[in-house]
Amino acid sequence: MSVGELFWFEKYRPRSFDEVVDLDEVKGRLREFVRAGNMPHLLFYGPPGTGKTTMALVLARELYGEYWREDVLELNASDERGINVIRERVKEFARTAPVGKAPFKLVVLDEADNMTSDAQQALRRIMEMYAATTRFILMANYVSRIIDPIISRCAVFRFPPMPKELMAERLRYIANKEGVKLTDDGIDAIYEIAQGDMRRAINLLQMAAAAEGVVNKDSVAAVASAARPSDVLEVFNAALGGDVEKARERLRDLMYIKGIAGVDFLRALQRELPRLQLDDDAKAAVAELLADVDFRLAEGSDEELQLTYMLVKLAAIGARAKPTPAPRRK
Amino acid sequence: MSLPWVEKYRPRSFKDIVNQEEAKYKLASWICRRFRAPDAFCKAWAKVQAKEVEGAKAVLLAGPPGTGKTTLVHALAHEIDYEVVELNASDVRTSERIREVVGRGLREGSLFYSGKLILFDEVDGLNPKEDLGGLDSIVDLVETARVPIIMTANNPWDQRFRPLREVSLVINVRKLDEEDVVEVLRRICNAEKIRCEEDALRALAKSSNGDLRAAINDLQLFAEGKGALTVDDVKRIGERNPQLSMFEVLDRVFRARWFDEARAISFTPSFDWEQFFAWAVENVPRVYKEPSAAAMALDRLSKADIILRRIRTTGEWELMPYMTELMLAGIALVPDKPKLPRFFKYQFPQRITLLAKSRESRRRREAVVDYLARELHVSPSYVSSELMRVLSVVAKKNPKALEAIGRAVSISVKDVEGLL
Repeated sequence: MSVGELFWFEKYRPRSFDEVVDLDEVKGRLREFVRAGNMPHLLFYGPPGTGKTTMALVLARELYGEYWREDVLELNASDERGINVIRERVKEFARTAPVGKAPFKLVVLDEADNMTSDAQQALRRIMEMYAATTRFILMANYVSRIIDPIISRCAVFRFPPMPKELMAERLRYIANKEGVKLTDDGIDAIYEIAQGDMRRAINLLQMAAAAEGVVNKDSVAAVASAARPSDVLEVFNAALGGDVEKARERLRDLMYIKGIAGVDFLRALQRELPRLQLDDDAKAAVAELLADVDFRLAEGSDEELQLTYMLVKLAAIGARAKPTPAPRRK
Repeated sequence: MSLPWVEKYRPRSFKDIVNQEEAKYKLASWICRRFRAPDAFCKAWAKVQAKEVEGAKAVLLAGPPGTGKTTLVHALAHEIDYEVVELNASDVRTSERIREVVGRGLREGSLFYSGKLILFDEVDGLNPKEDLGGLDSIVDLVETARVPIIMTANNPWDQRFRPLREVSLVINVRKLDEEDVVEVLRRICNAEKIRCEEDALRALAKSSNGDLRAAINDLQLFAEGKGALTVDDVKRIGERNPQLSMFEVLDRVFRARWFDEARAISFTPSFDWEQFFAWAVENVPRVYKEPSAAAMALDRLSKADIILRRIRTTGEWELMPYMTELMLAGIALVPDKPKLPRFFKYQFPQRITLLAKSRESRRRREAVVDYLARELHVSPSYVSSELMRVLSVVAKKNPKALEAIGRAVSISVKDVEGLL
C-alpha cells in the first residue's frame, strides 16, 4: 500500500474539478484559465482543510496532464530556510521550459502568510523576475497577513469552511468505498469536532473506523478523546497539580524524543483548554499564560526554557485554584 | 534586609583604605596636577612627580576583584568633593548620553572643574564575545573630555585594551595580603560586637585569596546575628577557585543575597552565559519548590532569553546588561527565598543527556516526517502534530501500513513503529 492510499484524505483527494463537491465559483474561474491556457498569479486563502492545496493540485493536473509533477514546484514558506532558499529554488526551477502544454511552470507556496512582510516584499520581486516563465499560487490562512502589493498582483480566491451537508455527503462516499458503517450521529459527532475542516473530518473518520470498526457517535468520541493529545494533557495536569518535575520529564520526552516543536505543543494545549476541568478564573489565567508563552516562544531562543516557565506558572495557578479547606466548626 | 557589610564598612576616605599607599599617591598626584582639588588633600597625598602621571589623560585602575578599585574612586571623589558619574562601556555607544552627561558638566563649571568625575567600572568585564565599539568610544571620549575619567579593570593587559592603556595612566591596585584582610574583618567583628576567633578570620581570609569583598560577604554570611564566630562555623567554605565549575557558579548565584553580589558573577573570567541558561533552567525548579518563587525566577530567565535573541538578531550589545542582570540577580533574588541546605545537589542539564541519547531516533523521525509531508502535500508540522497520531491509530490494526514508509526512508518497520 502506498502512502497516498494509506491516508484517506490523500486517497480521496479530488483529482479533477468534477470531483470537487463545492467551490463552484472558484472552479468556474479556474476552468477559464485552463481553457485560455494562461492565468495570473493566484492567492488562495481560507482556514485549514477547505481545499486550497487540493484545488492547486487539480489545477496543475488540468494544466499539465499526467506528468504535472514535472512542472510544479511545491514549497512551504514555514519550512524553507528563509527567502533566499525560496529564491534559489525558484531560480533553479524556472531555468527549464515547461514539459506540459501550458506555457508556464507553477510554483505553489503554502503558508505564505507566515512570511514576514520583508520576506513578502522579496517574494514579490521574485514573482516579477520570473513572471515570463512561472506563475505562483500562494496559499494562506489569513489574507490580512499578506502585503497589499502581492494581493494586487494576484487573482484572489476565498475558501470558506465546508458546509455540513457537503461534508456529510463526502464522508458517506468515502465510508461506502471503504466498506465502513457510518451512522448519522457519527457524522454529527465528526462535524462537531472538525467544523468545516474536511481534512480533519476525514482523519477522524479513518481513526474511528480503524479503532472501532464502525463510525458512530461513541466511536468518534472515543478516538477524539484518544486523539486528544493525551501526552500534552498529562504534562498539563502534572504541572497544574504542582508536580513540575514529572511535567518536565514528560515535556522533554515530547520535545527531544518525539520531536514535537514547542509551539505545536502549546497550541495543542490551547485547543484543549475549553474542555479542561478547571474553574473559570483559572481557565482565564491559563489562557493568558498560553498567549504569553506563545509570544515568548516566538521572541526567545530557548524553547525548553520558555516552556519550563509555563510549567511553573501553571503550578502557581494550580496552587491558587485549589480549594482551601473550610475552617472546622466546633 | 540589613545593609550589606561591604557597603556599611566601605571606606569613605583615603586614610581608611588599607595598604594601597602607592595607588593612592599616584591617583592623588594625577588628579591634583590636572584638575581642581583641595590643597590640604593634595599636600597630604600628591607625592608622586613623574611625567607619566602628569601626561595621562585618564586613569586605569587595574587589580583583581575585591581589592578596592571602585572604593578608591568613590573615596577620592569624596575627598575632593566631586560627584561620581558611573557609566558602563555599553552606555558609551549611545554616545549622546555621554555628551549629555559630560557636556552639561562642562557648562556648569570652569574649564577644569566640572564637579563631575566619570567612572567606567569593569571595562574588561563585558563578555569577550561583545563587540569592541564601546572601547573605541571610551578612547575617543578620553581624548576630548576635560573631566576626570577613571576606569577599572581586572585584567587590562589583553591586546584589545592597548589603545586604552596608551592614553591612560595604569595604576596597579595590589592584591591584599591575608594580614590585611584579617585586619579589616577584625574591625568589622568589633564594630558588630561579635567575638570572632582569630583562626576563623584567618580561614576566611585565606579562602578569599585577597578578595576583600568576598571575605566580608562570607563573614556576614557566617557571623551576622551571632554572638560569636568559631572556626567550625567557617569550615564549609572551600577555596574560592577563580576557575569555577558550573556547579559552583550556580551555587554562588543561588546563594547570592544582594543584587551586586549576583550581578558580579558575570564578571568572573570563566562565566559562560550561553551554558548558564541550560543549567539555570534545569535547577531553578529544583531550588525553588514554591511555585510562585520558581515562576518569578523563570519569568526573569525567560526575559533574559528574549533579550539574548534580540542581541543575536540585531547586534544590540548594549542590551547585554539587562540580560546578565535578569539571568543572575533575577533568579537569585525572589521574595521569601528558601534557605539552601549546606550542600545542594545541582543537576546536570538533562537536555544535553537526552539530546545525545535521542539523536538517532530524531533523525529517523525527521526523515519520516519530511517524506510524509512531501507525499501528502502538507507541512511537516502538520505531519508531526496530526498525522503521526492518525498513523498510530491506523497502524495498530494494520501494522503492514508502515511497510511503505519504512521502505521509502530505508528504516525498519519496527523503527517506524517506535516513532509513533
